[in-house]
Amino acid sequence: MEPVIDVVNLSKAFGPKVVLSNVNLQVQEGESLVVLGGSGTGKTVLLRNIMGLLTPDQGHVAVEGKIIHQLKRDELFETRQKIGMCFQMAALFDSMSVEENVGFALKRHASMSKAQIAERVDECLGLVGLKDTNRLRTSELSGGMKRRVGFARAIALKPKILLFDEPTTGLDPVMTDVIGRIILDLKAELGVTSITITHDLKSAFEIADRIALIFRGECIACETPEAFRKNPHPVVQQFLRGDADGPFLQDPPPPKRALSRPHHHPIPSV
Amino acid sequence: MLTKTLENIGAKVLGALNQAGDFAVLSARAFRAIFKRPFDWANLLHQFNAIGVNSIPVIVLTSLAVSAVFAIQLAFGFRQFQAEGMASGVEGLAIVRELAPVIVGLMMAGRVGSAMAAELGTMQVTEQIDALECLATDPIHYLFVPRLIAGAVMVPLLTALGIMVGFWGGYMVLVGVEGQSAFVYSQGFYQLLSARDFRIAMIKALTFGIIIALVGCWRGYRTQGGAEGVGNAPTSSVVTSSLWILIMDFFITKLLLV
Repeated sequence: MEPVIDVVNLSKAFGPKVVLSNVNLQVQEGESLVVLGGSGTGKTVLLRNIMGLLTPDQGHVAVEGKIIHQLKRDELFETRQKIGMCFQMAALFDSMSVEENVGFALKRHASMSKAQIAERVDECLGLVGLKDTNRLRTSELSGGMKRRVGFARAIALKPKILLFDEPTTGLDPVMTDVIGRIILDLKAELGVTSITITHDLKSAFEIADRIALIFRGECIACETPEAFRKNPHPVVQQFLRGDADGPFLQDPPPPKRALSRPHHHPIPSV
Repeated sequence: MLTKTLENIGAKVLGALNQAGDFAVLSARAFRAIFKRPFDWANLLHQFNAIGVNSIPVIVLTSLAVSAVFAIQLAFGFRQFQAEGMASGVEGLAIVRELAPVIVGLMMAGRVGSAMAAELGTMQVTEQIDALECLATDPIHYLFVPRLIAGAVMVPLLTALGIMVGFWGGYMVLVGVEGQSAFVYSQGFYQLLSARDFRIAMIKALTFGIIIALVGCWRGYRTQGGAEGVGNAPTSSVVTSSLWILIMDFFITKLLLV
């Protein structure tokens, strides 16, 4: 079966800095792929290439068989209507209310009446657990609420594909779990194909049908969560342990001071 | 040493050409996007309000100040050879042909051009422009077009307002202070003018409005690098558009005032 998203030999460099080199990824219909990787390893660049916000240096990204960077602008916009993108910092339009943000694409692309748009906006906000926030300004929202409004905006046009760019970064553990559940709910209810980029291992294992790890611009693993856990590759194991010592970092950090300190000295009582 | 200097000059020239090319391409896309659907009336009205209506106080005050000062200078100058009667005619000529369009243009470059650059610049660095792209909306169509239309419509209207206010600025000084006859002033103000002068004033204002909107949007759209970039965008938009307003003023005057 032809994959919905097909990333073929994708390479991208900014000046001398190679961000992605020869990345290959296939996502089948209805599948949820989680992409892991350290900060600054080009995960976001991967999503931006899929959205057509960047042009690859080599290779290509095909969505539903159409090669993104070869599309004309009108065709690209048509394809983008099938993809919902959730930005890392939500990227809500700060001059608009929550309602206007979520209804933005509907107003422009769907031939719906005002009442139908309002209904769909309520439905989308309900899916992300933010009923009755329609009239709020985006500046009045917390970080977690912003992300969720961003999700609602991305799903408004009923896309077949959802891309999440670090949906949980910078949120507390409880909100991280909430976001993870919402992504699972969206997957179950909408049956979408999704790519999620995250650092958070707990939600990664909950969400993923397959997990990929990007290391120094290359995709070094792409397999089911069970297989990923058992992957003997030292980088994978280091990432799973969350340990600073190992091959993962280019500049090894200083030795842990906490361990070299023999005793914990409490403040002496007088 | 010499090669280094030549290399630097070459790099500067290439950079300038790159910028000019980028501006030309984006401007062409903006003009082509005017006719695209869906047309966002609410957004356009909002820009009319932001660019036009909200600028009225500034334009009234600057036009009043400039025309009054100019009238004082004229009254003083013509008194040297007992030709005070000429002051009102020259006042009218200067205001309609040069002062109103250029002063309004420069003030608008400072007031709305910089605001456009700051707004679009902030949207660029907070990924809102990428979000527009991802919601299948052309940022050129959504952001540039309403500002371009509003600039092209509102700057000429504000220039007309500037001319009207300028008449009263001169009146205040020449009639109120210098004690000329109100009737003679009103006659004299339009004496040296023809319909062509008003037409040229409107052509200038239209050109300046387009320059202000396109440069402001372009500078904002091409903002890079966080807070510093957002800070630079308005400054460079004001400098660039002011410069081009003065340059275009020269050429329009030279070409049309034969």
